[in-house]
Amino acid sequence: MRLARGPALLAFALGPLFSPLFSQGLDPAQLLKSPTDTWPTYNGDYSGRRFSPLSRINSSNVTSMTLAWEYRLDAGTGTLTSPIKSTPLEVAGVLYFTLPDHAWAVDARTGRQLWHYQWETHGGIHIGNRGFGMYGSWLYFETPDNFLVSLNARDGSERWHVQIADVNQEYFSTPAPIVIRNHIIVGVGGDSLDVPGYLESRDPETGQLQWRWNTTPRKGEPGAETWPNPEAMEHGGGMTWVPGTYDPELNLYYLGTGNPNPVMAGQGRKGANLWTCSIVALNPDTGKLAWYFQASPHDTHDWDDAETPVLIDGEIDGQPRKLLAQSSRNGYFFVLDRTNGKNILSKPFIDINWSKGVDAKGQPIGNPDKEPKPDGTLVVPALGGAANWPSPSFDPETGLFYVNAVSSYSLYYLTDTADKPEGYGGRDSGVYSRLALKAIDYRTGQIRWTHEYNRGGGSIGILTTAGKLLFTGDPSGNFIVYDPASGKILWHAHLISTVSNGPMTYELDGRQYVVVGAGDTLYGFTLLQ
Amino acid sequence: MKKLAALFLFTAASLAAQAPAPPSAPARPRGNMLISRAVPDPAAVERGQKTFSANCGFCHGSAAQGGDTGPDLVRSQLALDDERGDKIGPVILQGRANKGMPAFHLPAEQIQDIAAFLRSRQQAAIDRNAYAILNVVTGDRQKGRDYFNGAGRCNTCHSPTGDLAGIAKKYDAVTLQSRFLYPRPRPGDSQPVRSQVSVTLASGQTFSGTLDNLDDFNVALRDDAGQYHSFSRDPRLKIDVRDPLAAHAELLGKYTDSDMHNILAYLVTLK
Repeated sequence: MRLARGPALLAFALGPLFSPLFSQGLDPAQLLKSPTDTWPTYNGDYSGRRFSPLSRINSSNVTSMTLAWEYRLDAGTGTLTSPIKSTPLEVAGVLYFTLPDHAWAVDARTGRQLWHYQWETHGGIHIGNRGFGMYGSWLYFETPDNFLVSLNARDGSERWHVQIADVNQEYFSTPAPIVIRNHIIVGVGGDSLDVPGYLESRDPETGQLQWRWNTTPRKGEPGAETWPNPEAMEHGGGMTWVPGTYDPELNLYYLGTGNPNPVMAGQGRKGANLWTCSIVALNPDTGKLAWYFQASPHDTHDWDDAETPVLIDGEIDGQPRKLLAQSSRNGYFFVLDRTNGKNILSKPFIDINWSKGVDAKGQPIGNPDKEPKPDGTLVVPALGGAANWPSPSFDPETGLFYVNAVSSYSLYYLTDTADKPEGYGGRDSGVYSRLALKAIDYRTGQIRWTHEYNRGGGSIGILTTAGKLLFTGDPSGNFIVYDPASGKILWHAHLISTVSNGPMTYELDGRQYVVVGAGDTLYGFTLLQ
Repeated sequence: MKKLAALFLFTAASLAAQAPAPPSAPARPRGNMLISRAVPDPAAVERGQKTFSANCGFCHGSAAQGGDTGPDLVRSQLALDDERGDKIGPVILQGRANKGMPAFHLPAEQIQDIAAFLRSRQQAAIDRNAYAILNVVTGDRQKGRDYFNGAGRCNTCHSPTGDLAGIAKKYDAVTLQSRFLYPRPRPGDSQPVRSQVSVTLASGQTFSGTLDNLDDFNVALRDDAGQYHSFSRDPRLKIDVRDPLAAHAELLGKYTDSDMHNILAYLVTLK
């Protein structure tokens, strides 16, 4: 662990001059508000809507939006192993963001680096990092070798680190911690060697464990009836790798859990395999499960149900309702009552071929013929899914839920036919994919408009704003602004690569900025002045 | 934009009166992203397998996956924490009397070999991209031939004595399965199949060639002479794309798995 020298020293040297930038920590009350002058948590606020009430950049002037600055990552002596997947936090004029083993602070007005922190790794899969959580002046991020690291936001110096999972067991960690009062909620990942998933709450001052919720039951616990034996559930997976959402009134934290393990060989874990591939509601003070809804009972396709559970205060049949909507990796769009988890709507948002419909609880019924086979079965969507971790968005003004949807095919092979398979137990071979931006009516699941691309690729993050704008990327490397009501394109710019994180926005000194990451570069856009 | 990015950073760095190293692009993970620990020496693994099989396999299974009386060692915490026998060595030498495991008086070298074997078993489970795919040729070749010439209309573009002659000599069955479903260009293809495009300008001038890019704002192509042409999209521009793989994409939604296996059973006969 060390601090990069040059820019960090500069920041120290100029410290007094810039002290207003650093002296203000994050007032936790900001987390309860819609994002305006700050973007204090992964999704901007607890709702996961990724909708900003800012409208200085709007549909009448967006054609004059232009580059304000860009920041190209410099890892010092380290190497960069992933594109920018983290959504930067913006607090008091500073952007904070991460990559595996790396963290940066840059001036939100200019893109100038203030500090760079590097973690000395002990291994783990370096696939990406989703960013920081913040509490007062303290930042928190997770590392591929499963440490929760707390930094001082002022200068990037390390305050402490604590281990949250064992890299020798093939855990690796990518999520952005979510801060709820004095709880730092952290998750883990890792499907390689059939380890059990869990979510933890850590103390913001010391990093000590407050509670742990296991995503699979232990012997004799509720849910054990959905597994054949204790060994299967203790090796049952269910990772917690995408930050969840929170309803302060209900005091419930909503999380989508990952797929069961072994990933593709289900013969050693017959049953529904709770609470993998589920949307769960937990009490953030105790980690106790309030309710669950299982999106893919007995998944064998690697379809983590980790996609953001988006909180919508909407109307169903004329009645105001507290809702939760998710575009699941398995291709279904789900709407639940978030007070109790009761299903309101389950409707595919792409054409799928693995489900025989839904049961009385609205949970999809898998077709056994489409589980992985030694000679291969052709499944849509592909392993990467119809959606994935990149953030969807809900615009309360249009009433539409937006997702970059992937129509794709994989061949799924079962390679381990033993009674007790290990590891993945199977392989996939990607065949074909096409990406399309879709606008879904949350009340009916109907697709109001679609913008199709003539290329495939992974899903891409989305932001909507009260300026009647939708910001996202296409698979060709364009950053595009759409009219969220009609799908008409209003503006675009070609970036260094495809958009690789969720775009975010904030306002400083009367100027609105939109920040987006593509590959190794962070771009800040604003209106011409 | 790439050059612009470098220029911007250079300017910023100059203003800051620092002399940082040139910005480094993110390096692709070298080697295998899934394996982050040292890969054991294959000779030690081979020796370890023999020693393990002779001494440990009866209880722990010959592949260390566990048996009736001995636990799985592939996913064992102790074995995963082990480095060159430092954790499993004492257990082997002392046994676990309370669990019915006797002591094995093996020399240090053999314990290290067993450790190498167990690490290789763990890494074999971890490295999913190296899993062997089993037999994929399970279909009925006559039905596959009928589908090829009938419902699939594959014979509209392809012939077993023409472009597909000897196809089964060129590709193994697993490769052939994914390639016939959608033969998108893959690294190393000698003649990758790509879309062709004609772009007609308002003036009536037409450019034709291999499609290089098509998005909402730009169309780009390479003509037969290898010259690159790029155009901003505009309603006056007429773009005509011919995608030779369109029929393959359309069939993906129509095949049953039986159709797919039958076609493969037919294609593997084309040697």
